[in-house]
Order: sequence, then C-alpha cells, then structure tokens
Amino acid sequence: MNKPLLASFGIATLLALASGCSTMGVEPWERDILARDDMQLTADPVEAAIDDHIYFSKEASSGGRGFGGGGCGCN
Amino acid sequence: MTDSKKSVSATLAAATCSLLGSAPTAPVQAQEEPSWDFNTALLYYGEDNDRVQDLSLNILGKRYFVDDRALTLGLTVDTLTGATPNGAIRQGVPQTFTRPSGSSAYTIPASELPLDDTFKDTRVALSAAWEQPLGRLWKTGVGFSGSFEYDYTHLGLNGSLSRDFNQRNTTVSAGLAVARDEWDPVGGTPIPFSPMLDVGDIGNKTGTETKDVIDAVLGVTQVISRNLLVQVNYSFSNSSGYLTDPYKFLSLVDGVTGDTITRVPAPGAEGPSHEFRFERRPDDRTKHSLYTQAKYYMGGKVLDASYRYMTDDWEIDSHTLDLRLRWPLGERSYVEPHLRFYTQSEADFYTISLVDGVELPAFASADYRLGNFDAITAGLKYGWKTRSGSEMSVRAELYRQSGTIPGELLIGNQVGRETYPDLDAIILQFSYQFGW
Repeated sequence: MNKPLLASFGIATLLALASGCSTMGVEPWERDILARDDMQLTADPVEAAIDDHIYFSKEASSGGRGFGGGGCGCN
Repeated sequence: MTDSKKSVSATLAAATCSLLGSAPTAPVQAQEEPSWDFNTALLYYGEDNDRVQDLSLNILGKRYFVDDRALTLGLTVDTLTGATPNGAIRQGVPQTFTRPSGSSAYTIPASELPLDDTFKDTRVALSAAWEQPLGRLWKTGVGFSGSFEYDYTHLGLNGSLSRDFNQRNTTVSAGLAVARDEWDPVGGTPIPFSPMLDVGDIGNKTGTETKDVIDAVLGVTQVISRNLLVQVNYSFSNSSGYLTDPYKFLSLVDGVTGDTITRVPAPGAEGPSHEFRFERRPDDRTKHSLYTQAKYYMGGKVLDASYRYMTDDWEIDSHTLDLRLRWPLGERSYVEPHLRFYTQSEADFYTISLVDGVELPAFASADYRLGNFDAITAGLKYGWKTRSGSEMSVRAELYRQSGTIPGELLIGNQVGRETYPDLDAIILQFSYQFGW
C-alpha cells in the first residue's frame, strides 16, 4: 500500500470511527467493568515499555501504541 | 467523589495516557489523598549462543494531585553484554576483524557466523510526564525522555491533547514527540562504505553524528459497550540524520565464487583477514503505522487483542498481532497467556554482501533486523495480590525469530552456506506494584 494512501486511510478510519461512534457507548452508571484495572488499555505500563524496547531493538518496526523511550537498540 | 465519577476518571486517564506512552498504573485515587503508585520490574532477557544478555531494573512512580492532575517519573537501568552478528558472511576459513574501538582484533573460526562479542553497555533511561484536565472535557500532557549509554544519547520532549465526546464514550487524542539522538561510537564513527582498517589505524573514523526524530499520533478511543473498549491510532514517524549502525559492516566478495576477498594486514600489524566495508543507510526514514487494540471483558476474563500494520519508505512492511488473556484464579490471582506474531519484509537496501569490482549501490546493510523474518513470542504470566493490596507477578516468555535470505542475494558458494541468523531468546520478569 503506498504511503499517502495509507495515511489517508488511517485518518479516514479515525474520522469514521469518531463520527460513527456517537451512537455507541454506555451510560455513566454502567462503567463498573470499564473502570477495572485489567480493562485499562495499558494495564501494565512497565511491562508495555519493556516489550516495546525489546522489540524496538530486535525488529525494524516500533511504536503504534505511543512514543518510545529512546536508546540506540543497536545490538 | 462518587464511584461513577471515579470510573470516568480512570477510563479517561487510560485513554489519554496510552497516547502519551506513559499509561496509568491504577484508577485515579481519592482526591483528598495525594499518593504515589509505584510499578517496578526486574527483567532478564537472554539470547541463545551467547548473544545479547540484558538485566534491567525498571521503576515507574506516579503521584496524584487534586483535580486529576498527575506526575509520572520513570527510571530504567539496563546492563547489556554478549555478542551480536557483525554483518559479515561465513567463510570456509577463519576470519579476523578489527574491533570497533580499533585497539585490538578478534578471530571467528571457519564456517561460523561472525559475531562481535565486544558489546558491554549500561543504559540509563529517565522519563517525566505531567498530565492534567483543561476544563471539563479536555486533557493535556507534557513529557520528557532521556536515555544515556556510553556511545549514545537520546533526549526527547512530547505533548498530547485529548477531548471527550458523546458522554465521555469517545476520546479523540493527538500527540507529538520530538527527539534528538547523538552517536559517539567507541573508536569513532566509521565513514560509510569505508574499508575496515588494521588495528590502530583510525583513518576511516570521524566524530559524533546526530539524528532527529519526529513522531505524531492521532487516536480515537471508543467505548462500544459495557464490556468492550476499542482504540485506533494512526502514527507518523520521521527520522533524519545518521541512521546507519556504526558497528555493522558487509563482506566484499568475488562476483563469481561469492567468497570474501582476502586481505593482508600491513607488515607487523594486526588487522582484518578479509575485505569488509562499513554499512550505509539512507539519512531519512518515514514510517506510517495503523494500530488497533480492543479490551473485552468476558465473565471475569479479559481479552487484550491488538494489531499493528507498519510501512516505511525503506520498503519494510510489517504486521504484528498481540493476544493476551487474563484468566482469574479465585479472588486474588490470575494467569495470563500471551501470544505475539510478527512478520516483516526486508529493506530495499538489505543485502548480505557487496561485490568487488562493481559500482557500489547507493545504500547497503546486512543487519539481520532489516531482513525478511517472522517472529513469535509465547509466554505465561502469573499475578497475585497481597493482603496489603500490593500486586506481584512473574512472567516467562520465549521469543523466536526465523528468517530467510532472498535467493537472488546469494552468489556462488554462498548458496547453501549462508542462512539467516535465527534467534531464540527468553524473557523472565518479576513485577511489584505498590502504593506509598
């Protein structure tokens, strides 16, 4: 897939999601499950950072979830 | 504060922080009691065949203030040792290489994959982030990251902004990070494509080099139902400057036999037994990625599934699928199996050798991490809560890389002799989370 096309596709997906989502969701009193520690998107931030650094050092891809913590990852 | 308000705060904190790269450790605490939450981990990462070993200590502390403001501070200390492929191909005879420092040499036995065992490094990484609401629906965050190694320094700043819509069921976020990294390799930075020289000869080395990185993330987090949360992020990343690895090089080979051209060190000197050329990568790289993650609660069990597609202008495409299932064992403990699948195509300048007597390509690297490979991670985590409310967990995982060298890159005797340097590594981690 060429790059401008991917960028457009990515942004369009986000916009579609944002507008299409206005009918989804829960009432404020229905958030008991969503508030659980294990339902957070990054339930264990240290483990996520460790994994990101390992794979950043060993593979040619990185990121997606957020920003990395730096380092050369050169060996 | 009522329970439902706390829940909203927790969800919002999670949504915003996932973009910031510094995620929340726990739902927001009661406003009247500012406190620290600590999330710590000790990690061992070890590759087979005496390749890279890493022992790592990680501490993340988060302090909550009134009005949902929070400060997050992070510290990581890594100690790295072990050997790594230097980029040269195997030969039927022993091969001698000058170490990156230029002060000595090492020899690899015949038919063995050339590994450089020089690496010994300590990395200290620091991070700080501040987040706070702006009015009722907006939230902002700013952060700093620094990473310091003997030969490499990273300094970065990041910021993010998010807004809630639709009764806080939708959160739209944007983040930006800039970084400046500096290389100061042991023995100097080799001039790209320059030959490896005898011990003590630094005629092909220069000083420090820098690279600049800009990352941007746009994301939407959506509550689908009471037990399903979905996030989609688009990320853009541009690196410019010195993107070459100063410790990697390529064998210069005969165009017919595929064997590396032999070389004789100067009289009385120690030096390379064959011709090697330091690698050269483009000085610009732009990556795009689309990342999506879902958290799904199923009667006590929680499924965490994510997928990332990445593509860049080095012609590398990759797909990553990550699955975790947290399975409770009674009230206080759980097990969490983890599976991760990864595949990438090779960079357009990836090759395994350079041909003697032929004009050099614009760029070339034999770094196996730019090659064509698949990887799988399989692991298990066990976690439990103590009576005091702290949490502990242990995890053990196996990471396996296996790749292939495209047939058209193999010349003469390289066919059947050269194989991708597959990798097996284990990951062992102990984590401890507690409040202060």
